Order: sequence, then structure tokens, then C-alpha cells
Amino acid sequence: MNHLEQTIDERPNRGYRALLALLSVLSVLFVLFIFVISLGPLLWVFISSFKSNTEILSSALTLPTKWSLKNYAMAFKLAPIANFYGNSVIVAVSTTILNVVALSMSSYVLARFAFRLRGFLKNLFGMALLIPAAAIMQPLYLNMKTLGFYDTLLGLVVCYAAFSLPVTMYIMMSYYLTIPKELEEAALIDGAGFNQTFWKIIFPLAKPAMATSGVLAFIGAWNEFQIAMILTSSTSKRTLPIALLYFKSQFASDYGAMFAATMVVVIPSIVVFILMQKQVVSGLVAGAVKG
Amino acid sequence: MKRSVNYALYILPTLLLFLVVYAVPLVVLVGTSFCSWKTGGHLTFNGLGNYIQIIAHDDVFQAGLRNNVIWILLQATVNVAIGVIFALVLFRKPFYWKFARTVYMIPSIISSAAMGMLFVCVFNPEFGMVNNIVRLFNPTFNQNWFMSYDTAFATVTFTWLPYAGMVMLLILTEATSIDRSIIEAAIVDGADRLQLNLRIILPLLKNIIGTCVILESTSMLKKLDIIMLTTRGGPGSTTMNLPMFIYKTAMVENNFGLANTAGVLLTLLGCLTVLLINKIFSVGKEES
Repeated sequence: MNHLEQTIDERPNRGYRALLALLSVLSVLFVLFIFVISLGPLLWVFISSFKSNTEILSSALTLPTKWSLKNYAMAFKLAPIANFYGNSVIVAVSTTILNVVALSMSSYVLARFAFRLRGFLKNLFGMALLIPAAAIMQPLYLNMKTLGFYDTLLGLVVCYAAFSLPVTMYIMMSYYLTIPKELEEAALIDGAGFNQTFWKIIFPLAKPAMATSGVLAFIGAWNEFQIAMILTSSTSKRTLPIALLYFKSQFASDYGAMFAATMVVVIPSIVVFILMQKQVVSGLVAGAVKG
Repeated sequence: MKRSVNYALYILPTLLLFLVVYAVPLVVLVGTSFCSWKTGGHLTFNGLGNYIQIIAHDDVFQAGLRNNVIWILLQATVNVAIGVIFALVLFRKPFYWKFARTVYMIPSIISSAAMGMLFVCVFNPEFGMVNNIVRLFNPTFNQNWFMSYDTAFATVTFTWLPYAGMVMLLILTEATSIDRSIIEAAIVDGADRLQLNLRIILPLLKNIIGTCVILESTSMLKKLDIIMLTTRGGPGSTTMNLPMFIYKTAMVENNFGLANTAGVLLTLLGCLTVLLINKIFSVGKEES
């Protein structure tokens, strides 16, 4: 920092110095702007979620006179939020397991062994990145219905596991390439077969890559809205993001409960993110760069 | 022989996932995009009929396509620029940088349906935060941000345009991996902050910026949740985009053939976007 300031002072050109000063003022404003847009809406909804409905309308910008949890009780009463929660947990966890296990196997074969269809399969799976889920909405719906997956949690799990397919494949493949081949050769000499080598030696070694891609698959499944909306119809099969749609369309007059429901959906994600920031951040970075 | 059986077994689960969720729907999508197909009706081959209908005569589709292209352009430029600038500010490690990084990531980590809901509350004409702040200065102010023709597009855009948490994170990670000695050498040579950022750091970040541009612009091909929760494409079709058009056509109007034609065009738009961005960023690579 000090270095930089000194060099600025040495510059003879006053116009240029004014420009630099202006830029540093602008950057302070910019940072303030970022803080306001990131925290403002969230804090306001959080604070409002403790107000009564009359207070929400009469004094929108003040703190609640009495911090009450009534809205939260109401939100849980109006919509089966606990049920949505349970569904979201089941779907996200199953998606993560299915995606990571299936892809750890296929990526191993694709990364390690040369066979005729290898290039074709790699490109085929990579193609999934270029197909937006919104584009195949109707045929996917039809396909799921034909297979009997409509309005089941299993249907959602299958879809979400496939949505994370390309990114997990890239992360896993590049990780397998860093494992030295000697390990497998040694296992072979010791008489281990293909299955044994994979499950006893390679699979445990690939844990870091699985954690990275698992985090991504989990977040994707936890936040997904569109497919959940199309593929489920009964309340007992819906996930958390859909709870918001439910509130928006059916209980839009109970503002307090709507605020509370929004916070109930948002808070766990924020808490988990802050607690596991390191893993989430490295997962997001790896996923974006490799995908 | 045994080996290839093993390979096949290990690939099978992934292949099944791909077939069920991508391959079969994609074949159906392309096939039926050339057909007339409504609920209860039969599939009849229609040639390019749907394509001509949708591109030349369907106002809603045209509005959706236009908005989608505008949103892609905005996201590829403004959104990425905001993320890059914020990353460069944080890269100098001001005292608040870790806190700021976490705070700015939050909107990107929570589901975008929840973001939509937050903004539905914030922009509510009666009790919303925005109108109430304006009313402090102008008590009669009343603006229905999401539902009036003149503000709907801008308001929807605001729900995602300033939020570039991923871009910030990727740029910051990449910038941190730049060799310190390059930066120190530049400082010794008398480079100020602006020169350091423009001449040294940004050129080194070119590839990752390209990645960010692809990431952010393709995210505009799947924005259904926020639109669904805020405007549903309205008023009129001012905030229509292709995913919302497909949803409406397929699930509400049950015109499957037409929806699938739009699906093919959405996929093509995505491929075109990726190709173009790749081209722009690798042309520069050859020069340097």
C-alpha cells in the first residue's frame, strides 16, 4: 500500500493524479453499493419477518416494536414447510450420492483406459453442458412420466444427478489423472482384480475430488426450482424452493408469513455456506473452471 | 474380453442417467419440433411450419428472444465487469476483504427462487423497502415496479445483474495465484494502482475472464425461477424470456410442438453464445 501511495505522489501530471483520486473515491462508493445490495434486501426481510402485519404496512422501515416469532409459527402452519424441508434433504443427499458414485466409476474408466468408444463417450457426456434444462422441459416431463418417475422424489434425484454429470466428470477425470499409475500396477502384481483395485485403492484416494463435486451437486439439487415445479404435483413430494411459489400464489396477503417463509428457506443455506465456506468455495471454483 | 465387460459395467450407470435425462428428451425435442402436436391431438409432420410460425409471426416468442439476447449481452458485460472490479478491490486485501467476499457470495449461494422472493418483498408497492425509502422524500410516491410497463424489465434485470459473486470468486482466486514477483517488479518500476490493474493484472486474467463471460451469459438461458416468482413474463411480454415462453407454451397452453421448436432454438442460442465468446477470447490469445 505505502509503495503505491508514494509512486502516486511522484507523478508530475496533476490531471492524472486527480483521476486516481477520483477512482479511489469511486471504489469506496462501489464497495458500499455492493454491501447495500448484498445485505440490504436480506436484512430488511429478516427484520420485517418479526413484525405484525399491521406494522409491516404502517412502518416498513423501523425495527419491530416487539420481536415476535408469530410469523414463523404461521408460516409452518400455512404450508407444510417441514415436509418440504425433509424432501429437500432427501433429494439433495441422494442426488449427491448417486451422482458421485456413478461418476467416480465412469470417470475412472474414461480417464484411465484406452478403448474404442472413449473419445465418443467423453464428448457425448460433455454435450450435456450445452443443453439447457429449460429447452428439454416438455420431452423430459414426458419421459419421466412414461418411466413412472412423475411426482416422485426418485424422479427429481435422477434428473439432478444427470444435471451435475458433466461437471463431476471433468473434476473426477482430472483428479484421476494425478494418481500415479504405479499404484494400480502394484495392486495388479499383488493379484487384485479390476473391481478390487478400484474400490479398495482408487475410490478411497479420490475423496477430495468427490467432496468438491459432491458440494456442487448438493447445492444444485438444493436450489433447483424449474424441474421440481414441473415434475411434482402433490404437496408431499415438493421441495423447498417450491414452497416459495406456494406462498406467493396462495398466501400473498399474509405478508408476515411470506417474509418468515422466505427466511426459513434462506437461512440454512447461509449458515451452511458460512460454516463450510472453504469446501464450498473450492468446489465452486473447480466446477466453474473445469465445466 | 473380461476388461471390456468391466468398462461397460462401470460406465453403465452414467450412460443410463445421460440417456434418460438428456439423450432421449433431446431426440424427442428435435423430432417433434417439426411436428404439430397439441394436447389430445395427434402428432402430424409439419416441416418447418413451427419454425416459420414462431420466428415470423409469434410476437411473444420474438419478445422473449429479444429480451434473452439483451440479458445475455448485459450479463456478459456489466455483470462480469462488476465482479472483476470488486475482485480487484478485494485483491488489495483491504481489512474487510474476507467479510466482503462472504457477503457478496450469499446472493449467489441461496436459491434464485429465494432471491426472487426477496425482491418481490423489497419492491412491493405497498410495504416494500424501496417505495418506503422513496416516500421519506416524496410521500405520495407509488410505483409498482414489477407490474408496470416502464419499470418491469429494469426491475427484473436488477434481481441478477449486480450479483456477480461467482465472477468475483473466480477472478480473486486466479489473481491470488499470480506470481507475486511480477507485481512487485511493476511496483518497483513505479506503476500506480491503475496501471498495475490495467496493464499487469487484467491481461494475466484474460482466460478466466473468458470463462466468467461464458458462465454468466449461459446462466441467462435458464432463468425461469425468478421470472416465475416475480412477473411471469409480464406485463404484456416485457419480461418474457425463452424458458418462460417454453414453460407457458408447453405446460399452460399445451402446445408441445411449438414449445419444442422454441427449445431447439434456445439450445442453438446457447451453442452460438458459447462459440462466439470462445472465438472472441481466443482471437486475442493468438495476438499476444
